[in-house]
Amino acid sequence: MNQQPPSKSRNVGMARSMCWHCQSELTGEYFCERCVKIQPVSKDTDYFTCLGLPRRLTIDPAVLEANYYERSRTFHPDFYLNKTEAERAISLANAATLNTAYRTLKDPVQRAEYLLDLEAGAVKTIRTSPPDDLFEEILELQEMLDTYRAEPPASEQNQQLLARLQHKRESLERRQQELEQELPQLFAEWDALQDQTPEDDQSRLERDRVLKRMREILSNRTYIKNILNDLIDSIG
Amino acid sequence: MAYSDKVIDHFNNPRNMGSFGKDEEGVGTGMVGAPECGDVMKLQIKVQDNRIVDAKFKTFGCGSAIASSSLATEWLKGKTLEEAQQIKNTDIVQELNLPPVKIHCSVLAEDAIKAALADYQKKAAAKTSSGSSQ
Repeated sequence: MNQQPPSKSRNVGMARSMCWHCQSELTGEYFCERCVKIQPVSKDTDYFTCLGLPRRLTIDPAVLEANYYERSRTFHPDFYLNKTEAERAISLANAATLNTAYRTLKDPVQRAEYLLDLEAGAVKTIRTSPPDDLFEEILELQEMLDTYRAEPPASEQNQQLLARLQHKRESLERRQQELEQELPQLFAEWDALQDQTPEDDQSRLERDRVLKRMREILSNRTYIKNILNDLIDSIG
Repeated sequence: MAYSDKVIDHFNNPRNMGSFGKDEEGVGTGMVGAPECGDVMKLQIKVQDNRIVDAKFKTFGCGSAIASSSLATEWLKGKTLEEAQQIKNTDIVQELNLPPVKIHCSVLAEDAIKAALADYQKKAAAKTSSGSSQ
């Protein structure tokens, strides 16, 4: 084992690591060039890198899919059935990581959530304030639902309530759609900021604004989604 | 995961559920939410002579969130504003035996208390300053 002081071995770890099998320095992406063994996807590898994409929010679905299939073929556990147990385990773990990465990046909302997680260091200090009007609406709706559930479904009062709840449901669904429609524009703004160098104060402010707005949209969307689920459960 | 008996008790018999009018005399309102799970909590205090004489809550969320806010209103009643400021989420965790995955519910309750206190103090300050300028 190496006897280097901890600080130095950490640097080594951050550079390219060694092949788990033959210990030669790795140059290939997922295979050792010398012994041709499959290499585990590092835990530090983000989903964008994992799928061979730059860390951008606007993604061409065709490219995402093509990269996913290509890597799936590379890692698929079926191709490792005759290999050693270690190699089988690596291919399985890689395939699982790849699937999660693909599922996450495929859906724009999950993709944005994931990016916000990656940028968490920057966003943590930005706390979005909850929108009071939305909260009041949710609590009011929750009370209407309680009344609705407590009454016999066929009563006249409940028929009226049902009509109001259906109306609310439509308006919340519209609101959710409006929020989601705002995302592509924010994605484009974020990507443009990433391409901009060097980073100055102005672009840092812009960056925070875009991240904060994305956080707001995703949070409000979750609140609305939860109350909508409850609504749909109760009124069908 | 099972809820503790205390959580179930607060969930089945929530204390002080309801609300005060927002602009009622001496009322402070705290409204907070957890974006991760979509829980929404509204907690209100009614203050007379620097002491909380009544508290109410409305929570839309899981059992632990409801129990945390219910317990918070119980604790708030009778406390001075300074004492109320001292309530920590860890006290709630301990009292309700919340498991690690539900700690954020107690954090939400503490945030709601702080928000309600801040809202009351803001309103009180606005009242004195407008009173003195007249």
